[in-house]
Amino acid sequence: MSNAVATPPVDAGAGRTVPAERTGRTTLSMNQAINAALHDALAENPRTLVLGEDVGRLGGVFRVTDGLQAKFGADRVFDTPLAESGILGMSAGLAMAGYHPIPEVQFDGFTYPAINQLVTQIARMNFRTRGALPMPITLRMPSFGGIQSPELHSESLEWLFAHVAGLKVVSPSSPHQAYHLLRHAAQRPDPVVYMEPKSRYWQKGRVDFDEPGNLEGAHVARAGRHLTLVAWGAMVSRCLQAAEAAAEDGLDVEVLDLRWLSPIDADALAASISKTRRAVVVHEAPKTAGLGAEVSQLITERCFGTLKAPVERVTGFDVPFPSGSLENEYIPNIDRILYGIQRVLEYRRG
Amino acid sequence: MAELSFPLPDLGEGLIEATILEWLVEEGEHVERNQPLVEVETTKSSLELPSPQTGVVVRTHGGPGETIDVGDPLIVFEVPDDTAGIIGTVPKDEKPKRRVRLNVDLDD
Amino acid sequence: MNTLSYGRAALPDAELVRLFSQMTQVRHLDTSAIAWQRQGILPGYAPMRGQEAAQVGSVAALDMSRDFVFPTYREMGAALAAGVDMGEYMATHKATWNGGMYDARETRVTPIQTVIGGSALHAVGWAHGQRLDAAAAGADEPLDLPVALVYLGDGASSQGDIHEAMNFAGVFETPTVFFVQNNGWAISVPTERQVAGGSVAARGAGYGIASIHVDGNDVEAVVQATRAAVAHARSGAGPAVVEAMTYRRGPHSTSDDPGRYRSLAEERRDGGVDPMDALRDRLLEAGALTAEDVAAIQSEAEAFEERVRADVQAQGPRPGAEMFEYVYQEMPAPLREQAAAWREESDHV
Repeated sequence: MSNAVATPPVDAGAGRTVPAERTGRTTLSMNQAINAALHDALAENPRTLVLGEDVGRLGGVFRVTDGLQAKFGADRVFDTPLAESGILGMSAGLAMAGYHPIPEVQFDGFTYPAINQLVTQIARMNFRTRGALPMPITLRMPSFGGIQSPELHSESLEWLFAHVAGLKVVSPSSPHQAYHLLRHAAQRPDPVVYMEPKSRYWQKGRVDFDEPGNLEGAHVARAGRHLTLVAWGAMVSRCLQAAEAAAEDGLDVEVLDLRWLSPIDADALAASISKTRRAVVVHEAPKTAGLGAEVSQLITERCFGTLKAPVERVTGFDVPFPSGSLENEYIPNIDRILYGIQRVLEYRRG
Repeated sequence: MAELSFPLPDLGEGLIEATILEWLVEEGEHVERNQPLVEVETTKSSLELPSPQTGVVVRTHGGPGETIDVGDPLIVFEVPDDTAGIIGTVPKDEKPKRRVRLNVDLDD
Repeated sequence: MNTLSYGRAALPDAELVRLFSQMTQVRHLDTSAIAWQRQGILPGYAPMRGQEAAQVGSVAALDMSRDFVFPTYREMGAALAAGVDMGEYMATHKATWNGGMYDARETRVTPIQTVIGGSALHAVGWAHGQRLDAAAAGADEPLDLPVALVYLGDGASSQGDIHEAMNFAGVFETPTVFFVQNNGWAISVPTERQVAGGSVAARGAGYGIASIHVDGNDVEAVVQATRAAVAHARSGAGPAVVEAMTYRRGPHSTSDDPGRYRSLAEERRDGGVDPMDALRDRLLEAGALTAEDVAAIQSEAEAFEERVRADVQAQGPRPGAEMFEYVYQEMPAPLREQAAAWREESDHV
């Protein structure tokens, strides 16, 4: 397939050249919101670059970078050879030259060939050089499952990234969050891994350009009194659905969208769970040594005295992410979340 | 909606152009991938080109008897904005089914 | 194979004397650093004996006011020639700070790199940045670009990142010079068991990269070959590979025992002429130096080593707070809490 005519870039502030002036509210899908954020990041800072496999002429395999090369030129939005270590290593060098690269790894699982550059170089360069060569790199990747994709296209790697000192990790759950968190990440002087929930790319939502809200830490996606569901990425919308189901049964559930997976907003966890006294953490990654264990421990450290029950985890299983026909068995669904909630409700100190 | 344009492909053996014999689809028509689109004639043979895309035809380029160069636009489709990427499916955003009912007995 | 040619005109005697002085400093400091390890001053060191001509000569071809050097962990000679403070350099071997204490931005030398082949892609990215800068400034051809020179060895050439770096450099035509010191050995594995086809430079052809084979023990040839490669890259013609054939005359590191994989007789046979001796004899024969000059240069090198030794010995441990301070530019709250707990609970001043 060649010569595809690109969808025009999303540009709510059409005709404006200063994206800071992008104003008002609009409805966008998440991939359009990310596209808008990349557009504005490129417009705001002439040293911002977008690079990766197929991000230029094609506009990315999910069209997230659609129209950006046409607008900003092939020097600033460019296709690289097919080599993830190369993309990240080159980004490190560009950062050394004073650029702010926003590399894309085309799919979560393709990060594995680039782990060396990510962990041994990008994450440590600021430390190694005592701050002389910081790495203002925003690494984007479509993440998590839910679209019946082939093997290694549905990984949840937050457990890995969050464990690496020197990286910060964030995952948006809505178009509004996606726009503002990416703008925020791209302005940071440290490397940020930005995990895009690929199953949510097409869901539309309101984006308010004037009111980003607090971009640090967690976000209460739904307030409730009885129990807190802790989630991030695509699991936030699933938890909101579970909360609605629970409400039908008379349980008022709070959903805390963690957003930042490194650092984790322990204060927000404590504030929520001191109130609800019950917690279930939900994620797609396998259970053992997943980020749910970290979240659970942070809750235990801060809320042990008030907890009504041990923190429950509803997660993927300790198996390789299965093929599409089985992914609905693997990814936490409403019923498994409700079972987790029920276990918490039924716990009695013995 | 977005437009997706396809050029006349290289039909092989170094041919640089083809002549439109007959369009088999009309503007506004919904076509399926691999559905025959157009009959063309080259210096070697005449052949049918199958559609590379599912979608609604927005425009066709060139009428019967006209010659199109390889690489020039042949047909433009309208496709939904939410077509999936290179791989995978677009998940449906439907109200989820639930089986489990909670037994809520709070001892607060 | 796109072989780059280079001039064979002799360098001026004064320049060769300057190079000889630097090489003498490097040789003496390298020899001393091994002794320091035996004396308990350094926990470990990676000697570079025999690679003085390749390292000092290659840096001599650079303009350190605008070029950038990407070393491995065996580039003490290159770092010295590039102007890095040797006490700050040795800080990595002293275990004071991984990567060294020198300022990478000020010195234009990236930190000491322990990952084999880890820096090559950085040199490509940095060099691509220079190209983008020139394009943004509307510079005309032929360009006059700052150049990235990255060191790698025959062992590193096996790494996937080296392939990716050379391919990216070829695709983006970045002003990158890949300076390969083929010293015959990657720890215990000889080049013939390391490099299929026998030549790293020959691989340049596959990437459309200009390449040069040069005698890495001949400092004059190294300077001229690297100058040709740098000029090629600087003009915007794309990357270049220089493969300097040399010999690791010492062990891989101070904890290595070469006797387990090569004999002294083999070392003598394969090592060829010591580059230090070759240059000294040539300068003596040409009358550019007298025996007294050589002795004076040696004394200066010894005095220099004494100063570096004093610097290294004076290095205490870094303040523990730096362990937290340099992880991020913007320290996250949990790390701040850990730093506070460390301050509270650890036994330190």
